[in-house]
Amino acid sequence: MNDLELFPYPKNRLQKTDLDLAASLQDLVQKEIVDKRLELKEDYQGLLRPNLDKLLVEVGLQRMFWPEDLGGEEHNGPEAAYTVAAALEQVGRADTGLAYLAAHNLALQAALAMRENLDREACARFAPLFCDGRGPMIVSFILPVFGEDEKAPAWRGKSFQVKARSASGGWVLEGKGIRPTCSGADATLFGAWCAVEGEEAPAFILVPGDAPGLSRGPEFKKTGLAASRNADLDLSGVEVPAENCLFRGDLEYRRLLSWFYLGITATTVGGLLAAYQILKEWGDNRVIKGTGNIFKENPLTGALMGEIAQDISMSRLLAYDLAGMLADPSSFGDAGSDMVYTSALMIVHQVLATAERALHRTMELMASAGYAKEWQLERYWRDLKTVQCYVGSHELAKHDFSRWFYGARTL
Amino acid sequence: MRGIDVFSRPLEYLTPLGEQVGEIIREWVEKEVIPYRRGFDEDYLEHRLIHPPFKKLLGEYGIQRILFPEDLGGWGLGHSEYLCVAAFRMFEEIARADSGMAVAFGVVFWPLVLICCEPHVNRRLCEEFAPMFMTNEPVFSCLAMTEPQGGSDIENVEVLKGSTIRTVAVRDGDEWVINGHKLWPTNTGGVADLMGVVCTTNPGSRNPEDIAIIFVPADAPGVTQGPAYEKAGMAADKNGDIWFENVRVPLWYRACGPGDDAKYYGEIVSMGNMGSIAFAVGVMLNIYEKLQEYVNRKTYRGMPLKENDAVAGVLADFATTIEAVRIIGYQCARMCDRQDLYGPRWSPEVVARARAHRYFAADRALEAIGKVMNLMECFGPDRDWDVEKHWRDIKMVQLWLGGKQLSQMEVARWFFECETL
Repeated sequence: MNDLELFPYPKNRLQKTDLDLAASLQDLVQKEIVDKRLELKEDYQGLLRPNLDKLLVEVGLQRMFWPEDLGGEEHNGPEAAYTVAAALEQVGRADTGLAYLAAHNLALQAALAMRENLDREACARFAPLFCDGRGPMIVSFILPVFGEDEKAPAWRGKSFQVKARSASGGWVLEGKGIRPTCSGADATLFGAWCAVEGEEAPAFILVPGDAPGLSRGPEFKKTGLAASRNADLDLSGVEVPAENCLFRGDLEYRRLLSWFYLGITATTVGGLLAAYQILKEWGDNRVIKGTGNIFKENPLTGALMGEIAQDISMSRLLAYDLAGMLADPSSFGDAGSDMVYTSALMIVHQVLATAERALHRTMELMASAGYAKEWQLERYWRDLKTVQCYVGSHELAKHDFSRWFYGARTL
Repeated sequence: MRGIDVFSRPLEYLTPLGEQVGEIIREWVEKEVIPYRRGFDEDYLEHRLIHPPFKKLLGEYGIQRILFPEDLGGWGLGHSEYLCVAAFRMFEEIARADSGMAVAFGVVFWPLVLICCEPHVNRRLCEEFAPMFMTNEPVFSCLAMTEPQGGSDIENVEVLKGSTIRTVAVRDGDEWVINGHKLWPTNTGGVADLMGVVCTTNPGSRNPEDIAIIFVPADAPGVTQGPAYEKAGMAADKNGDIWFENVRVPLWYRACGPGDDAKYYGEIVSMGNMGSIAFAVGVMLNIYEKLQEYVNRKTYRGMPLKENDAVAGVLADFATTIEAVRIIGYQCARMCDRQDLYGPRWSPEVVARARAHRYFAADRALEAIGKVMNLMECFGPDRDWDVEKHWRDIKMVQLWLGGKQLSQMEVARWFFECETL
């Protein structure tokens, strides 16, 4: 049995095409990334960027949702949630940073091109960028952050990083020291959730990476996610057409985030599966307490390994539970509904916290090999901690949970 | 804004020397380390940024001399009753800037404990090696324990009694001939000038008398150091392979002698654990400073972030962790110093207590720092805020010295009188 199949998931709900995609991605990333990562480490130019191109363009993840007549695969029903989960856990197993970037791309596609909410005009405008085969669309989001009151009004306790105003049939965007969710140095398209001057409803506006007035700071160093070369941005009088505003309402924004959180959850599960494979090799071969005592057979280390497997297994089930909620709006409601959004937020936080614990424990079991780059484990630990921080403060997320479950109104 | 000195220390334990050196080190880290530390990760092989501050601290300030007797040019701390408390203060000050530097600093003295500290001073070896340290150039020691095949088996002396050690010292006339391969010692990767090497004189033996800790100058023929490993953090602490191929040293380079090398090895473990707690404290003190800046600068609903009740809960947990871990750490240091009250620091009891203190401290620190990073959202993993560096580093503090599971076994063995673990 394929060792990844040891961790159950609702295979019966996946279509054959999902399983085929997952299988081909598993082979591809094994050959192109996993087998080469010791040699190429986390080299962006040598390893990560070429594989991002391959995944988004050649495999076609960036064409998945778009209508066929616009060059896409038109796999844009809610059941695509399972496809997203199955694909991103395979990519995440190879490199969580690459999967994190792909999660942005897929979430934006879902927001624009989902069958039930398809925005034909917006699709016609943006699909070619994703489908013309010219190169990868590196999508980044500019979301509200915690503790930046001085920049703009707040949305659910977080402050907008960008202010937009309507002017001469378009939008003008302003913002300084903006920290995007990824790839500030490379992104070809930014999706910004903006405060709108003089209006209460925010706007989600797409900003091309080469828009005049958009300037990028130097790439900054961070804990992990080498595939995301991040940099702070300034938007100084950036003008974009009116059509670049994709939506104004909370519902659509939460819908985008629910899909984004599904992508991140699957990415995280991928990182956990990688950790499992590394620990498995360690546990099979390591000898402790003298000759003949195999690591996995020791009652203490064996129990901890079991606990890690439990964490991975539960996380995978949660990821597919979330996919199931998004895949079945008739039972659970719209992806942007308060209930689905809150569940998505809870699941992404839960899975990331579980991953943090499981990776800490895996490293503990492997002692020095846990933090030696040679063993390739520590990169998942760094990557997923970075993802967790970018997803946002757990304290604020808990307020969202309280809003839904207890009806809190002023948090 | 309150600074790091608000956290409790058991004042009755502190010594004038420790405090004076602590102040000197604080000034040194402010000027020589903190301004440069963000470049340390990329400097892990060359140490172009890391070496100059060490030259000042160890060589020019002369702190590398502290363990040796006064008449040999040292400061005589080896026969004091406040060595560990003073060391704790020094370690936490250095770790506040960089815990990798703190461990590299601490390991300079680690093998020397075996020959410089009462009641097992090896006067002849002190005389032999003191001149090496009486210089303005930094001198580094290492303690070579871990081997490729067994990981923490070497540290597990009480159970395995050295039976898995494969680095072999064979007596040939009035010399030892050493062959073997060690991994991971701090201050290797070409750094070490003097090595304490854990060997067996009789492979497979469970007789403690066959465990030998032998000093080997790094330039002895047959010693080869590999390049530094690339790790998740702690760039200032170079770790690499060492190969010993027919390395010859005099018989009297053995640290304490048959039976005593194994016995006093426990002292090394206790002091290593004590130092690890100091590293955790130093790291958290610096994060406290960074966090103060963050939660005062960032605003939330018109108020500094710290004024939000939910945020304050996280801040309180972090401050509480520093308080508790620091008190435990100083207590551990005091226990290692006052052997008249607590028993020999090589005894299984003290080893177990120090292990317990260390793994509790490291676990709590790691958990608390993880929460701080999360609170800081996208600035938590940003190197410019320094918190993530400390998070990466402290993970290594948690894992070394045999890792957490070995610590748990030693603690259970002592407190519950387990016999077969």
